[in-house]
Amino acid sequence: MRLRKIAAAILILVLTLALVGAIAELPSPDERVSQSALTQRIIGKGVVETGATNLVAAVLFDYRAFDTLGEATVIFAAVAGVVLMFYHAPLHPSAIGLSILAKRSLDVIGPFVFVAGMYIVVYGHISPGGGFQGGVILATLTILISIVYGLQEERRLLDPRFKTALESSAALLFMTVAFVGVFSGEYFLSNLGAGFFRGHPGSVLSGGAIPLLNVAIGLKVGAGLALVFYSMVKKEPE
Amino acid sequence: MLENTIVSILLVFLVVAAATAISFRNVLNSVLALSVFSITLAVLFVLYQAPDAAMAEAVVGAGLVMALFLVTISKTRAEEEAD
Repeated sequence: MRLRKIAAAILILVLTLALVGAIAELPSPDERVSQSALTQRIIGKGVVETGATNLVAAVLFDYRAFDTLGEATVIFAAVAGVVLMFYHAPLHPSAIGLSILAKRSLDVIGPFVFVAGMYIVVYGHISPGGGFQGGVILATLTILISIVYGLQEERRLLDPRFKTALESSAALLFMTVAFVGVFSGEYFLSNLGAGFFRGHPGSVLSGGAIPLLNVAIGLKVGAGLALVFYSMVKKEPE
Repeated sequence: MLENTIVSILLVFLVVAAATAISFRNVLNSVLALSVFSITLAVLFVLYQAPDAAMAEAVVGAGLVMALFLVTISKTRAEEEAD
Protein backbone atom coordinates (compact mmCIF):
# COMPACT_ATOMS: atom_id res chain seq x y z
CA MET A 1 0.00 0.00 0.00
CA ARG A 2 2.71 2.39 1.03
CA LEU A 3 4.83 1.36 -1.97
CA ARG A 4 1.92 2.14 -4.24
CA LYS A 5 1.59 5.64 -2.80
CA ILE A 6 5.30 6.31 -3.36
CA ALA A 7 5.02 5.05 -6.94
CA ALA A 8 2.02 7.32 -7.52
CA ALA A 9 3.90 10.30 -6.08
CA ILE A 10 6.89 9.66 -8.36
CA LEU A 11 4.57 9.31 -11.36
CA ILE A 12 2.81 12.60 -10.58
CA LEU A 13 6.15 14.36 -10.05
CA VAL A 14 7.53 13.18 -13.41
CA LEU A 15 4.30 14.10 -15.18
CA THR A 16 4.25 17.55 -13.56
CA LEU A 17 7.86 18.23 -14.57
CA ALA A 18 7.12 17.14 -18.15
CA LEU A 19 4.05 19.38 -18.35
CA VAL A 20 5.84 22.39 -16.85
CA GLY A 21 8.65 21.83 -19.37
CA ALA A 22 6.11 21.72 -22.19
CA ILE A 23 4.52 24.99 -21.03
CA ALA A 24 7.97 26.63 -20.86
CA GLU A 25 8.50 25.54 -24.48
CA LEU A 26 5.25 27.21 -25.64
CA PRO A 27 5.93 30.15 -27.93
CA SER A 28 4.76 33.50 -26.60
CA PRO A 29 1.51 34.77 -28.16
CA ASP A 30 3.52 37.36 -30.12
CA GLU A 31 5.34 34.76 -32.21
CA ARG A 32 2.34 33.95 -34.31
CA VAL A 33 3.34 31.77 -37.23
CA SER A 34 5.03 28.40 -37.29
CA GLN A 35 7.70 28.19 -40.00
CA SER A 36 6.98 24.66 -41.23
CA ALA A 37 6.53 24.12 -44.97
CA LEU A 38 2.90 23.02 -44.59
CA THR A 39 1.99 26.16 -42.61
CA GLN A 40 3.66 28.42 -45.14
CA ARG A 41 1.96 26.65 -48.02
CA ILE A 42 -1.54 26.90 -46.52
CA ILE A 43 -1.09 30.53 -45.47
CA GLY A 44 0.37 31.42 -48.86
CA LYS A 45 -2.07 29.61 -51.15
CA GLY A 46 -5.08 28.72 -48.97
CA VAL A 47 -7.30 31.62 -50.00
CA VAL A 48 -6.55 31.13 -53.71
CA GLU A 49 -7.03 27.38 -53.64
CA THR A 50 -10.21 27.23 -51.53
CA GLY A 51 -11.83 30.67 -51.69
CA ALA A 52 -12.29 30.72 -47.90
CA THR A 53 -10.70 33.50 -45.86
CA ASN A 54 -10.93 31.49 -42.62
CA LEU A 55 -7.96 29.20 -43.17
CA VAL A 56 -9.02 26.87 -40.36
CA ALA A 57 -12.25 26.22 -42.29
CA ALA A 58 -10.16 25.78 -45.46
CA VAL A 59 -8.16 23.01 -43.77
CA LEU A 60 -11.21 21.42 -42.11
CA PHE A 61 -13.50 21.33 -45.15
CA ASP A 62 -11.11 21.27 -48.11
CA TYR A 63 -7.58 20.02 -47.48
CA ARG A 64 -8.62 17.65 -44.68
CA ALA A 65 -12.34 17.27 -45.39
CA PHE A 66 -12.02 13.48 -45.24
CA ASP A 67 -10.98 13.75 -41.57
CA THR A 68 -14.04 15.91 -40.93
CA LEU A 69 -16.20 13.20 -42.48
CA GLY A 70 -14.64 10.74 -40.01
CA GLU A 71 -15.40 13.03 -37.07
CA ALA A 72 -18.98 13.47 -38.26
CA THR A 73 -19.30 9.68 -38.43
CA VAL A 74 -18.06 9.39 -34.84
CA ILE A 75 -20.73 11.88 -33.65
CA PHE A 76 -23.36 10.06 -35.70
CA ALA A 77 -22.45 6.73 -34.09
CA ALA A 78 -22.39 8.26 -30.60
CA VAL A 79 -25.83 9.85 -31.05
CA ALA A 80 -27.25 6.62 -32.46
CA GLY A 81 -25.85 4.72 -29.46
CA VAL A 82 -27.30 7.09 -26.88
CA VAL A 83 -30.70 7.19 -28.58
CA LEU A 84 -30.75 3.39 -28.77
CA MET A 85 -29.79 3.04 -25.08
CA PHE A 86 -32.63 5.31 -23.92
CA TYR A 87 -35.10 4.26 -26.62
CA HIS A 88 -37.70 2.62 -24.40
CA ALA A 89 -37.79 5.34 -21.75
CA PRO A 90 -41.16 7.11 -22.04
CA LEU A 91 -41.60 10.86 -21.63
CA HIS A 92 -42.61 11.81 -18.09
CA PRO A 93 -45.52 14.27 -18.07
CA SER A 94 -44.42 16.19 -14.94
CA ALA A 95 -41.80 18.37 -16.67
CA ILE A 96 -43.62 21.71 -16.66
CA GLY A 97 -40.66 24.10 -16.71
CA LEU A 98 -39.57 27.07 -14.65
CA SER A 99 -41.27 30.29 -13.50
CA ILE A 100 -42.75 32.94 -15.77
CA LEU A 101 -39.66 35.15 -15.26
CA ALA A 102 -37.38 32.51 -16.75
CA LYS A 103 -39.82 31.90 -19.59
CA ARG A 104 -40.07 35.58 -20.55
CA SER A 105 -36.26 35.96 -20.31
CA LEU A 106 -35.79 33.04 -22.69
CA ASP A 107 -38.35 34.62 -25.03
CA VAL A 108 -36.09 37.67 -25.19
CA ILE A 109 -32.68 36.01 -25.54
CA GLY A 110 -33.74 32.88 -27.44
CA PRO A 111 -33.96 34.50 -30.90
CA PHE A 112 -30.55 36.10 -30.40
CA VAL A 113 -28.99 32.76 -29.46
CA PHE A 114 -30.56 31.22 -32.56
CA VAL A 115 -29.25 34.00 -34.82
CA ALA A 116 -25.78 33.75 -33.24
CA GLY A 117 -25.70 30.00 -33.90
CA MET A 118 -26.86 30.37 -37.49
CA TYR A 119 -24.40 33.24 -38.07
CA ILE A 120 -21.48 31.16 -36.83
CA VAL A 121 -22.51 28.28 -39.13
CA VAL A 122 -23.13 30.38 -42.25
CA TYR A 123 -20.07 32.65 -41.86
CA GLY A 124 -17.82 29.72 -40.93
CA HIS A 125 -15.65 30.13 -44.04
CA ILE A 126 -15.07 33.86 -43.44
CA SER A 127 -14.68 34.38 -39.71
CA PRO A 128 -13.82 32.10 -36.75
CA GLY A 129 -16.42 29.46 -36.08
CA GLY A 130 -18.01 26.90 -38.33
CA GLY A 131 -20.49 24.07 -38.44
CA PHE A 132 -19.45 22.39 -35.21
CA GLN A 133 -19.38 25.50 -33.01
CA GLY A 134 -22.63 26.90 -34.41
CA GLY A 135 -24.31 23.50 -34.21
CA VAL A 136 -23.46 23.17 -30.52
CA ILE A 137 -24.95 26.64 -29.89
CA LEU A 138 -28.18 25.56 -31.63
CA ALA A 139 -28.24 22.36 -29.55
CA THR A 140 -27.72 24.46 -26.40
CA LEU A 141 -30.80 26.51 -27.37
CA THR A 142 -32.95 23.36 -27.43
CA ILE A 143 -31.49 22.42 -24.02
CA LEU A 144 -32.47 25.87 -22.69
CA ILE A 145 -36.00 25.46 -24.08
CA SER A 146 -36.43 22.04 -22.50
CA ILE A 147 -35.19 23.29 -19.12
CA VAL A 148 -37.16 26.55 -19.07
CA TYR A 149 -40.37 25.49 -20.85
CA GLY A 150 -40.33 21.82 -19.95
CA LEU A 151 -39.67 18.80 -22.10
CA GLN A 152 -43.25 18.55 -23.41
CA GLU A 153 -43.02 22.00 -24.99
CA GLU A 154 -39.64 21.25 -26.57
CA ARG A 155 -41.01 18.00 -27.91
CA ARG A 156 -43.99 19.88 -29.38
CA LEU A 157 -41.67 22.44 -31.05
CA LEU A 158 -39.14 19.93 -32.37
CA ASP A 159 -40.36 16.36 -32.64
CA PRO A 160 -37.56 13.83 -31.97
CA ARG A 161 -38.41 12.14 -35.27
CA PHE A 162 -37.90 15.49 -37.00
CA LYS A 163 -34.48 15.82 -35.34
CA THR A 164 -33.53 12.32 -36.47
CA ALA A 165 -34.62 13.14 -40.02
CA LEU A 166 -32.68 16.43 -39.88
CA GLU A 167 -29.50 14.70 -38.70
CA SER A 168 -29.69 11.97 -41.33
CA SER A 169 -30.47 14.37 -44.18
CA ALA A 170 -27.55 16.59 -43.12
CA ALA A 171 -25.28 13.55 -43.32
CA LEU A 172 -26.72 12.82 -46.78
CA LEU A 173 -26.04 16.44 -47.83
CA PHE A 174 -22.39 16.02 -46.79
CA MET A 175 -22.06 12.80 -48.78
CA THR A 176 -23.82 14.35 -51.82
CA VAL A 177 -21.35 17.24 -51.83
CA ALA A 178 -18.53 14.72 -51.43
CA PHE A 179 -19.68 12.64 -54.43
CA VAL A 180 -20.16 15.68 -56.67
CA GLY A 181 -16.36 15.75 -56.70
CA VAL A 182 -16.16 12.14 -57.86
CA PHE A 183 -18.78 12.48 -60.60
CA SER A 184 -17.24 15.65 -62.01
CA GLY A 185 -14.01 13.76 -62.67
CA GLU A 186 -12.11 15.09 -59.68
CA TYR A 187 -11.42 13.35 -56.36
CA PHE A 188 -13.73 12.59 -53.40
CA LEU A 189 -14.59 15.81 -51.51
CA SER A 190 -12.81 18.03 -54.02
CA ASN A 191 -13.87 21.65 -53.72
CA LEU A 192 -13.20 24.29 -56.37
CA GLY A 193 -11.87 21.69 -58.81
CA ALA A 194 -15.33 20.09 -58.93
CA GLY A 195 -16.84 23.35 -60.19
CA PHE A 196 -18.33 24.71 -56.95
CA PHE A 197 -19.00 28.44 -56.98
CA ARG A 198 -15.79 30.27 -56.07
CA GLY A 199 -17.26 33.73 -55.51
CA HIS A 200 -15.24 36.60 -54.15
CA PRO A 201 -13.18 35.55 -51.10
CA GLY A 202 -14.63 37.28 -48.04
CA SER A 203 -18.25 37.36 -49.20
CA VAL A 204 -20.90 34.96 -47.90
CA LEU A 205 -21.37 33.18 -51.25
CA SER A 206 -17.78 32.07 -51.72
CA GLY A 207 -15.48 29.22 -50.86
CA GLY A 208 -17.12 26.62 -53.11
CA ALA A 209 -18.38 23.63 -51.13
CA ILE A 210 -17.14 24.88 -47.74
CA PRO A 211 -20.34 26.77 -46.74
CA LEU A 212 -22.46 23.78 -47.85
CA LEU A 213 -20.37 21.39 -45.75
CA ASN A 214 -20.54 23.87 -42.84
CA VAL A 215 -24.35 23.93 -42.99
CA ALA A 216 -24.43 20.12 -43.19
CA ILE A 217 -22.15 19.73 -40.17
CA GLY A 218 -24.03 22.46 -38.28
CA LEU A 219 -27.43 20.79 -38.73
CA LYS A 220 -25.97 17.36 -37.99
CA VAL A 221 -24.21 18.40 -34.79
CA GLY A 222 -27.11 20.57 -33.63
CA ALA A 223 -29.80 17.94 -34.21
CA GLY A 224 -27.57 15.13 -32.93
CA LEU A 225 -26.58 16.75 -29.65
CA ALA A 226 -30.16 17.94 -29.07
CA LEU A 227 -31.23 14.30 -29.50
CA VAL A 228 -28.59 13.14 -27.01
CA PHE A 229 -29.88 15.62 -24.40
CA TYR A 230 -33.52 14.77 -25.10
CA SER A 231 -32.88 11.04 -24.81
CA MET A 232 -31.01 11.47 -21.52
CA VAL A 233 -33.62 13.74 -19.88
CA LYS A 234 -36.60 11.51 -20.65
CA LYS A 235 -37.75 9.77 -17.47
CA GLU A 236 -37.05 6.08 -16.98
CA PRO A 237 -40.15 3.89 -16.59
CA GLU A 238 -41.04 3.57 -12.89
CA MET B 1 5.08 41.89 -22.16
CA LEU B 2 1.71 42.58 -20.57
CA GLU B 3 0.23 39.80 -22.68
CA ASN B 4 2.87 37.36 -21.41
CA THR B 5 1.99 38.26 -17.81
CA ILE B 6 -1.70 37.68 -18.48
CA VAL B 7 -0.95 34.33 -20.11
CA SER B 8 1.15 33.24 -17.12
CA ILE B 9 -1.57 34.24 -14.66
CA LEU B 10 -4.19 32.37 -16.69
CA LEU B 11 -1.99 29.25 -16.94
CA VAL B 12 -1.58 29.20 -13.16
CA PHE B 13 -5.32 29.77 -12.72
CA LEU B 14 -5.95 26.83 -15.07
CA VAL B 15 -4.00 24.52 -12.76
CA VAL B 16 -5.83 25.92 -9.73
CA ALA B 17 -9.22 25.37 -11.39
CA ALA B 18 -8.31 21.80 -12.33
CA ALA B 19 -7.09 21.04 -8.80
CA THR B 20 -10.28 22.57 -7.37
CA ALA B 21 -12.42 20.42 -9.66
CA ILE B 22 -10.92 17.17 -8.39
CA SER B 23 -10.72 18.18 -4.72
CA PHE B 24 -14.43 18.92 -4.13
CA ARG B 25 -16.44 16.18 -2.44
CA ASN B 26 -19.67 17.52 -3.90
CA VAL B 27 -19.81 16.56 -7.60
CA LEU B 28 -21.99 19.60 -8.41
CA ASN B 29 -19.17 21.94 -7.32
CA SER B 30 -16.71 19.87 -9.34
CA VAL B 31 -18.79 20.35 -12.48
CA LEU B 32 -18.91 24.12 -11.86
CA ALA B 33 -15.13 24.24 -11.37
CA LEU B 34 -14.72 22.26 -14.60
CA SER B 35 -16.73 24.87 -16.52
CA VAL B 36 -14.55 27.64 -15.03
CA PHE B 37 -11.56 25.62 -16.30
CA SER B 38 -13.10 25.48 -19.78
CA ILE B 39 -13.75 29.22 -19.92
CA THR B 40 -10.18 30.00 -18.81
CA LEU B 41 -8.86 27.63 -21.47
CA ALA B 42 -11.03 29.37 -24.07
CA VAL B 43 -9.54 32.77 -23.13
CA LEU B 44 -6.05 31.25 -23.44
CA PHE B 45 -6.89 29.89 -26.91
CA VAL B 46 -7.92 33.40 -27.98
CA LEU B 47 -4.63 34.83 -26.67
CA TYR B 48 -2.78 32.15 -28.65
CA GLN B 49 -4.57 33.23 -31.86
CA ALA B 50 -6.85 30.19 -32.10
CA PRO B 51 -10.37 31.67 -32.02
CA ASP B 52 -11.91 28.60 -33.69
CA ALA B 53 -10.65 26.30 -30.95
CA ALA B 54 -11.67 28.87 -28.33
CA MET B 55 -15.24 28.94 -29.62
CA ALA B 56 -15.50 25.15 -29.61
CA GLU B 57 -14.02 24.95 -26.10
CA ALA B 58 -16.39 27.60 -24.75
CA VAL B 59 -19.62 26.17 -26.17
CA VAL B 60 -18.78 22.53 -25.52
CA GLY B 61 -16.97 22.88 -22.19
CA ALA B 62 -19.16 25.47 -20.54
CA GLY B 63 -22.45 24.76 -22.30
CA LEU B 64 -23.04 21.25 -23.47
CA VAL B 65 -20.84 19.15 -21.16
CA MET B 66 -22.15 21.13 -18.19
CA ALA B 67 -25.78 20.42 -19.18
CA LEU B 68 -25.11 16.71 -19.73
CA PHE B 69 -23.23 16.43 -16.40
CA LEU B 70 -26.06 18.19 -14.53
CA VAL B 71 -28.64 15.82 -16.03
CA THR B 72 -26.53 12.81 -15.12
CA ILE B 73 -26.02 14.05 -11.55
CA SER B 74 -29.71 14.77 -11.01
CA LYS B 75 -30.67 11.33 -12.37
CA THR B 76 -28.14 9.35 -10.32
CA ARG B 77 -29.05 11.34 -7.17
CA ALA B 78 -32.71 10.46 -7.56
CA GLU B 79 -31.74 6.80 -7.80
CA GLU B 80 -29.51 7.01 -4.72
CA GLU B 81 -32.33 8.57 -2.70
CA ALA B 82 -34.74 5.88 -3.86
CA ASP B 83 -32.48 3.10 -2.53
